[in-house]
Amino acid sequence: MSQVEKFHYDNAIVKKFAYATLLWGVVGMTVGLLIALQLYIPALNFEVPWLTFGRLRPLHTNAVIFAFVGNGIYMGVYYSLQRLLKARMFSDLLSNIHFWGWQAIIVAAALTLPLGLTSSGEYAELIWPIDIAIALVWVIFGINMFGTILKRREEHLYVAIWFYIATWITVALLHIVRNISIPTSMTHAYGVFAGVQEALVQWWYGHNAVAFFLTTPYLGLMYYYLPKAANRPVYSYRLSIIHFWALIFIYIWAGPHHLLYTSLPEWAQSLGMLFSLMLIAPSWGGMLNGLLTLRGAWDRVREDPILKFMVVAVTAYGMSTFEGPMMSIKSWNAVTHYSDWTIGHVHVGALGWNGMLTFGVIYWLIPRIFNTKLYSIKQANVHFWLGTLGIIFYAIPMYWSAVVQNVMWRAFTPDGFLVYPNFLETVTQIIPMYAIRSLGGLLFLAGVVLGVYNVWKTIQTGNLVANEAAEAPPRPAAAVAEDKSHWHRWIERRPIQLLVASFVLVAIGGLVEYLPMAFIDENVPKIETVTPYTPLELQGRDIYVREGCLGCHSQMVRPLRFETERYGEYSKSGEFVYDRPFLWGSKRTGPDLAREGVGKLKKSDSWHYNHMLNPRNVYEQSIMPAYPWLITDDLDISTTASKIKVLRQLGTPYQEGYEEIANEDLAKQAGKIAASLRADGIEQEGLENKEIVALIAYLQRLGVDISALPQAEK
Amino acid sequence: MKNTIYRISFLAAVLALPLGLMAQNAAAPVNQKFWENTIGSMTVLGGAIVIVGAMLVVVRLLSIIVKMDELRILKEKGVEEVVETYRQPQESWWSRFMKTATKAVPVSQEKDIDLGHDYDGIRELDNKLPPWWLWMFYISIIFSIIYWTLFHITGSAPGMHQEYEQDMKKANTAIAAYMAKQAEQVDENNVAMLEDPQEIELGKSIFNTSCTPCHGTMGEGNSIGPNLTDEYWLHGGGIKNVFSTIKYGVIEKGMQSWKENLRATDMQRVASYILTLQGTNPPGAKDPQGDLWKPEQDAAQPENTGEKTGDTGHVFPGDNASNLAGK
Repeated sequence: MSQVEKFHYDNAIVKKFAYATLLWGVVGMTVGLLIALQLYIPALNFEVPWLTFGRLRPLHTNAVIFAFVGNGIYMGVYYSLQRLLKARMFSDLLSNIHFWGWQAIIVAAALTLPLGLTSSGEYAELIWPIDIAIALVWVIFGINMFGTILKRREEHLYVAIWFYIATWITVALLHIVRNISIPTSMTHAYGVFAGVQEALVQWWYGHNAVAFFLTTPYLGLMYYYLPKAANRPVYSYRLSIIHFWALIFIYIWAGPHHLLYTSLPEWAQSLGMLFSLMLIAPSWGGMLNGLLTLRGAWDRVREDPILKFMVVAVTAYGMSTFEGPMMSIKSWNAVTHYSDWTIGHVHVGALGWNGMLTFGVIYWLIPRIFNTKLYSIKQANVHFWLGTLGIIFYAIPMYWSAVVQNVMWRAFTPDGFLVYPNFLETVTQIIPMYAIRSLGGLLFLAGVVLGVYNVWKTIQTGNLVANEAAEAPPRPAAAVAEDKSHWHRWIERRPIQLLVASFVLVAIGGLVEYLPMAFIDENVPKIETVTPYTPLELQGRDIYVREGCLGCHSQMVRPLRFETERYGEYSKSGEFVYDRPFLWGSKRTGPDLAREGVGKLKKSDSWHYNHMLNPRNVYEQSIMPAYPWLITDDLDISTTASKIKVLRQLGTPYQEGYEEIANEDLAKQAGKIAASLRADGIEQEGLENKEIVALIAYLQRLGVDISALPQAEK
Repeated sequence: MKNTIYRISFLAAVLALPLGLMAQNAAAPVNQKFWENTIGSMTVLGGAIVIVGAMLVVVRLLSIIVKMDELRILKEKGVEEVVETYRQPQESWWSRFMKTATKAVPVSQEKDIDLGHDYDGIRELDNKLPPWWLWMFYISIIFSIIYWTLFHITGSAPGMHQEYEQDMKKANTAIAAYMAKQAEQVDENNVAMLEDPQEIELGKSIFNTSCTPCHGTMGEGNSIGPNLTDEYWLHGGGIKNVFSTIKYGVIEKGMQSWKENLRATDMQRVASYILTLQGTNPPGAKDPQGDLWKPEQDAAQPENTGEKTGDTGHVFPGDNASNLAGK
């Protein structure tokens, strides 16, 4: 027999990621609480650009997903990977570059998003230089992880590591493809995909950010920490195998369920719906393997707060992975989409599954790396109950609100009129639900703060074991140790093959859905009257993007009677060919704006001016933030030329050399709008140079192209 | 034997589930009403599940009755030994069902299925895939194949645009039937000033929800819309013109068209209310705009009528929305 080798586990890096998890958890959830309050106390937007809802919402989602859960993944992976492989991390230097690089990215995100620097795709808002930094740091993480895997002493890879590998390769693929773009400046770029294609790529990315950033790595963590904490064997190895491969293969197809009843071709919608339904069993495989591993340990669940956190986490995972497929059924999606149901759903997942599991892991792991005991079991129990109640107080009002919204949006009188034609009436009805929801958020955050205190007191009673001694025999040569007990053991010895197999499986779904969309013209029928935006509209559109308007306003009328009666003609795929980024949105806190410039929804320029200055001047009960800076700030027209140029490269038919004269057209159009404002008695110095004029130009353009089609052609 | 009955009835219940979902999808085109379409069909589905559950309970009760009867007969015959065997605690159908559905090896015997893997102390058992979980997986796959076939291969199920058109047609028929039963409609040619204070009060409440953003809470006007309390009108004064302006709007000037949001009688109410504001001279009233309107002009026909735009009242977007996507 070979000799036993002595080595040390690196706990210092685990500690760093744990601290970062706690810090960003508190920050991300505090921002979440603030924006929840802004929804019923508009004064909390403070009329400060970088504190408005539209800019803070992406900060909240990014902070919670990539900062809180991201650091949670790294914390859990760096601790478990070393132990499952019986090896120290490949390189301490890479570990530290990974850590500091990721924190720098988070800080950069926290600075740029409030400044309005965004590329607007949900969960992919960060601007291109940060996207490149993310790719680099992710590659460093990958090298460090694979370096460790290759020098492992354990012969086979445990199921947790399969999940880590699939996570790494898929996130790399998603991140890179979603963010391919051409810069117009250091802080702005236009993506290569436009309109319907971009929508498909966005939700292929966005849905799988949930799948491969919030789910697969956390399943990996569950497979390590839950059996460790319960001290029970994993229920079924076969179930691990089947649910792992089925999950990663099927998940990637499900993205289009975010686009049901939109202008996305129907075959792609059906694929999204059906693969979501087929995903129930693979997802539940993880939940079952987690819960059934606890057989024989349920008596301890009552006493051990760590197990309680994990049980609620796995249960929340099971609930949201059942709810998700149900929401993907087309006719039910017609109800939940754009409503608060989605918000409730994601928070059961994020607070329940990710939040609760993270804290279970932290309470288990911190005393171990500090060689001490948890400071207060009682406080951990209180944290558990605050968290659980928080989730309930969060989710239930959101579901209720979704029901109220739907009943009101869909109500017709017998003579065919909407009972609530003014969208605002449907908003004021749900304000109490928004208030209760923020209470839920507050409870959850209070639990987290208590948890931070408990961890802080715990580490004071112990000392960090920065390098934990361990020993293990070296890995036997492959030829000696061919284990033929199960066919799957073969790939568990071959990390590279596992990586390649995962890559091939996740690539299939994306390719089958995207390629027909890109190469078969029938999928996006051309509409003659759809023309590129004028330079002023283009600048206005980028202001719309900057202010995060799509956080609350969709631009997608679905072919449903209660939508076409409220907003006008339903949206067609050909309308969006020049839309970079596409702005369909996924939530209607305010009304849809796809037809804002035409028909019964059209308002005067002065209406928009007054409404943006302060929506409460127009509607007393409006909850929309005020945008006074649009009135006072001059429009930056120095960017027009580079924007036009890049858009032409991407295929928008601006004439060669148009960028030279674009600002002349811009000034002409701005002059007209300023004149119409003056005609309504709005006197302001240099009105034609203000940002508001560009935004009005864009809003007045919405829906115009398709309405210009002669009736016969429709 | 009984066991088989339970198994079959459970399987039937599970199989009914995707059928219910399909029925729901198929039902959608005929009727898009919220309750009937979604919650309604969910309720039907839930009801079906409850009924199947109730049937299972009935079957169970019947078998108990049969058993008790057997017991009575045996007792009368005095076959004490047989009675004894019946008194033995029997495994309930539920625990037998759980065994077939999960095929889990009990915790006490788990050593037999320990695979001997050891990852940092974590061991793995070789429990079988839970059969109920596998059924669920197979059913979701079979459902998906059927759905895809119906919607995208045979095309026998309607797509979303067809659904929409059927839906609009149905709604328009229902509205037309309703309208046929109503009294003659008010329009800009026959509209008359309402005098009933109750009607005026209704007009005021409509004014307060829909008109104040642009015309002020007392009709004094603001930087968006004109003063409605003076004698000067941009698009003509008098009940007919005011009604017509509300109905068709003056889109190029920023006045919305309300005919799709307000029924004719409501537009009559709000127009009447607006005319009661004449001469109230509220504080902060906007300077006069447009031309002086004298009451004797009231008899004249409105300047703005739907004929200009070819509009003749309520418009159903579905009428002209035959989709481009289909081309």
